[in-house]
Amino acid sequence: MEERQLDSKKRYFYAFVIGTIVFLIVFGITYFLSYLEFQRISNLQSNSAYRIFEDKLDFSIFEKDMCPETSFKEVTQDLNFQGRIIDDLEKKLGKSDQSVLSRKKFYTLVELEHFEFVKTLNQECKLGMNTILFFYSNEKGDLKNSEDVGKLLGAVYTKNQNNLIIYSFDINLNSDLIKKLKEKYGIKESTTVIINEQYVVINPDNINQIEKYLSEE
Amino acid sequence: MELITVFIYASIYIGIVATTFYILSFFAYQKKERLMYTDNELPKVTVLIPAYNEEDSIERTIKSVSASNYPRNKFEILVIDDGSKDKTLEIAEKFASKNSLVKVFHKQNGGKGTALNYGIKKAKGEIIFTMDADTSVPPESLKNMVRYFKDEKIMSVTPSMVIARPKTIWQRIQHVEYLQGLFLRKAFASINSIYITPGAFSAYRKSFFERYGGYDEGNITEDLEMSLKIQFNGYRIENCSEAPAYTIAPEKFRELLIQRRRWYFGLLKNTWKYKKIFGKKYGDLGTFVLPIGWISIFFSLIIAIFSFFKTISKVKDEFLYLQSINYSFSNTFDLNAYFIERFLFLFFSNPIILFIILFLVLLGMYIRYGVKKIGGSPGLMINLPLYFLTFSILFSIWWIVSIFYALFSKTVKWR
Repeated sequence: MEERQLDSKKRYFYAFVIGTIVFLIVFGITYFLSYLEFQRISNLQSNSAYRIFEDKLDFSIFEKDMCPETSFKEVTQDLNFQGRIIDDLEKKLGKSDQSVLSRKKFYTLVELEHFEFVKTLNQECKLGMNTILFFYSNEKGDLKNSEDVGKLLGAVYTKNQNNLIIYSFDINLNSDLIKKLKEKYGIKESTTVIINEQYVVINPDNINQIEKYLSEE
Repeated sequence: MELITVFIYASIYIGIVATTFYILSFFAYQKKERLMYTDNELPKVTVLIPAYNEEDSIERTIKSVSASNYPRNKFEILVIDDGSKDKTLEIAEKFASKNSLVKVFHKQNGGKGTALNYGIKKAKGEIIFTMDADTSVPPESLKNMVRYFKDEKIMSVTPSMVIARPKTIWQRIQHVEYLQGLFLRKAFASINSIYITPGAFSAYRKSFFERYGGYDEGNITEDLEMSLKIQFNGYRIENCSEAPAYTIAPEKFRELLIQRRRWYFGLLKNTWKYKKIFGKKYGDLGTFVLPIGWISIFFSLIIAIFSFFKTISKVKDEFLYLQSINYSFSNTFDLNAYFIERFLFLFFSNPIILFIILFLVLLGMYIRYGVKKIGGSPGLMINLPLYFLTFSILFSIWWIVSIFYALFSKTVKWR
């Protein structure tokens, strides 16, 4: 039998080039979508920070009565969303992506501003709002556990939306604020949950372990 | 990056390059001129219908093929009753008594391969069609296929195989599978890389049988063996997309599993038998089509097995999670605008989802081509989602069972 020739060598080349371009375009689209979401999160973050500062100044300088119409609940929702998307972006764009890291640091700052403001409102307005500080890690060995506890806290939040705010902090974030927070609350390991600044629960695996420390509305 | 992610992206990349290559080949082929018999040049043909216990369908099959618009003086139909225990022989003989085109032969049961070889010896046609006793064809299929044989390098021509009247879920899934296969078969034909000639209906040049022998009688996929034999000996297999042929598909899951086990087990055995076909000597078939086919099967299985265990572990985790939060559905999700935005973001920023959408679009194009060629497909809107949702799982199950049989030397029988 005589050796068969390829029908067209050029066609293989074209298929390789077109296939590679299509393959890369799909990654390009996902990167572009991540970029758009990053832009949106950046704007949302600035907006949240502005609103928190505005509320705080209204309260502290202008002595406006914030108790009946404070916007902290809306800001809380915004913050929860931002935190999750920043984590998603970190997973997509990588831990070393500088733009995501800077957003994450800013997010920590905004969270603490909000935390401080809620503490003040709790005192002044007798809001009875519970706070949870959740210290997690996205390092390979800790990721699964952090996600599990994150889901658990998500369920706690959904059941107690009216009187609970959760603040999450990545203990591996290279930030002075995080270092100070870890020192203040004695955080040594990931997935540590601090309820109302009093009760410490490490690696909770049941909703009851957390809910029992929450005060009623 | 995890190894499984590498596998997934490698299989996607190979899939995209291969698909691009087949689409380019398909369009290049449309531009080529082909040698075709005119009506006056048509050679004599014999249609062989081996039958074993086919009393329900034999009459319909003979009727459909005898209604072909092929010149009567160049056409014969031979029914070979392979020792049926039902009324197949009686029905065929009754039909033959009224139709001079039809001749009926009876032999002791020995399997499809033996019946076909018996028929080949009796055949007077230059072109031999093999036809299952549960298959039917429209009047133009025969003539359209024979035209291709003017090119002397062509030893076989395949039709557009379609599932007839799909009713059960399993038949509906197969209906879409066959439809999307029509495009690929044409693309493979364009680079002489068809390696399966459907046993249900295919045409062969009789001289090939005379020179290289008939069917391998002990082979469980004798049609596949024959097509690899044609390729192995350096000839062409063509595809005639203007020749629909309707076959009855297995109705139940068990029947389908048995059929696929036979096919895939046969593919494994026959590929091993003709392993020399892999390589540069066999052009596009040996260099690209067969290696890519096997690599794709390998990747699909790895990914399917991984996904299976991953799903089990995920379900287990989810169950533990639901227990840990004293599950109450109303409290599980907070369906606000942010939840939806995050879901959409995660969904559409996942490259694998976009690749799946891309492949679905391509699949849609293949199916559209198939529907156009067979002139419509009732129930397609029901059949499509069934196919999309289940086929990859079924494909993996069939392959795993077949490999199990091959590894542990289990015997696979024709029926």
